[in-house]
Amino acid sequence: MSTIEVTNLSKSYGDVTALDDVSFTIPDGEFVVVLGQSGAGKSTLLRCLNGITRPTSGSITIDDANVVGPRNDVAMIFQQHYILGQMSAYSNALTGALGRTSFLGSLLGLYGGDDKKEALRALETVGLLDEANQRAGKMSGGQQQRVGIARALVQNPNLLLADEPVASLDPASAETVMRYIRDAADERDLTTIASLHQVNIAREFGERFLGMKDGQVVFDGYREDFNVDVIDRIYGDIETEAIREERADGPPENNAAATSGARSHEY
Amino acid sequence: MSTDTDRIEEALRNIQIAKRVRLLFSVVVLVLFAWFFTNALSEVGFSVGEIVEYWPEFTDALGDFFPPGTLFGVVPFVDVSQYWAFIQERNLLLQFQDGNPVLGAVFVTFAMGFAGTILGIPGALILGVLGSERVTPYPFNFIFRGTMSVIRAIPALVWALIYIPLGGVSPFTATLAIGTDTMGNLGRLFTDALEEVEDGPIEAIESTGANSPQKVVFGMLSQVFTPFIAWTMYILEINVRIGVTMGLIGGGGLGQVLQTQRGLFRYTNMMATILVIFMLVVSVEFVSQRVRSYIRGNEEGTSVLKLIVEFPQRMARSIWE
Repeated sequence: MSTIEVTNLSKSYGDVTALDDVSFTIPDGEFVVVLGQSGAGKSTLLRCLNGITRPTSGSITIDDANVVGPRNDVAMIFQQHYILGQMSAYSNALTGALGRTSFLGSLLGLYGGDDKKEALRALETVGLLDEANQRAGKMSGGQQQRVGIARALVQNPNLLLADEPVASLDPASAETVMRYIRDAADERDLTTIASLHQVNIAREFGERFLGMKDGQVVFDGYREDFNVDVIDRIYGDIETEAIREERADGPPENNAAATSGARSHEY
Repeated sequence: MSTDTDRIEEALRNIQIAKRVRLLFSVVVLVLFAWFFTNALSEVGFSVGEIVEYWPEFTDALGDFFPPGTLFGVVPFVDVSQYWAFIQERNLLLQFQDGNPVLGAVFVTFAMGFAGTILGIPGALILGVLGSERVTPYPFNFIFRGTMSVIRAIPALVWALIYIPLGGVSPFTATLAIGTDTMGNLGRLFTDALEEVEDGPIEAIESTGANSPQKVVFGMLSQVFTPFIAWTMYILEINVRIGVTMGLIGGGGLGQVLQTQRGLFRYTNMMATILVIFMLVVSVEFVSQRVRSYIRGNEEGTSVLKLIVEFPQRMARSIWE
């Protein structure tokens, strides 16, 4: 739960501008989906919000506190999940508590009793309580991503970031993982910002949408405004069967729910 | 047409010239090589005449190495009982006195390798981790890499000689030397393993708000935990072998028994000792390899019981397959 304010945020890597004067405000508890082509600046935006990447200029405040580096109360879910394959799902989830445990304590496994229960509760949230002792490296891609979500939840975050959390999963696992993220966010009333590039999944799960192109926010609006023209603006002129049909069928909000089916994967 | 023929002729000539140049070059290299080799031989005093002259002596010794006897009183075989007698006499394996076990020389040798490895691990960890460019920024990591290089440049046997004023000529000195050697060798392997860790998980750990030491332990070391154990087992194998050679300079254990018996020209006893060495080294390698293959991922591995029960089968298979 927190209000995020991004003001004139810019980030360039040498000559390449990844973010160009981005500003927006996100009130408490919203589920925001960031859309855009590869290289549009989605990852850079999320990494800046997390504090792993330092912006070139501009500022980010979370509940009026400036983001100056990674913090325990801002959690990130990565596309390649980046969990530790050698460790159990439980140990991986527990690394979410590192930020509030001393080095010696974490080395000796002396986490607070609450943290241990928190880790198991997070694994339960993502449906992996029975697999808690299993080695993470042996799990399927979808399960590994859920371990990544559990780690993020153990951070007890006020803000949950997800950088293309389902990009490397099959459609079915992608839906499952997204559902777990949404349920976790609902359950804990978390402000969530997820970047996605499957429009159908975005429409299914998003409340608010930020469309990015060439480092700039080209769309900022809610479900009812997120239509085919907006998608065109974000992705440029793409013409697929699904879009053609939708144009012919009429206004998109009527069949927004229907597009979550298999056909909309063609976007 | 004729120009075509000319061009083909010329191409052929060029190829022949190139071939001749290559042949000449090979001959020069070969001559140089032969010259170095003969020099090396004369430097070490190699002489075929000596081999011929002392051949009978060597065959006599072979008779002692492998004392002739019979198996079950019929089949001609090496007289194993002579080996066994010496193994018992000098307690190379294990004896019982009044029901109490008295550990033999084989345990001394193994203990040198094992204790040396364990003693070396903390140093190897510290040097290895700090030597990695991922942990210590570029020019400074060479302080630790350099330290490991210096340690490795000096053989374990020489380290033992250096430590003699500290612990005398004893298994203790040998263990110190093996520990030092381990710091250099194992540390280097640790550094190499660390160079291959992935950035993603480190970043993920960083994103949780973990501090730098936590980033190193959870982000990096946890990724190389199994390779570290595997490399440590590998170094243990090597250290047990070094433990044998330590005995040759008086460090105790099987090596020292071997050295003493050589001095007494008791070749049968020497061979008995060599058999025990063989048994020790092979068992350590065997166990180490099983452990390594187990942690490298075939999760089910092999149970100890299965390992023993299926041993004859495996041996047999390794003979005809």
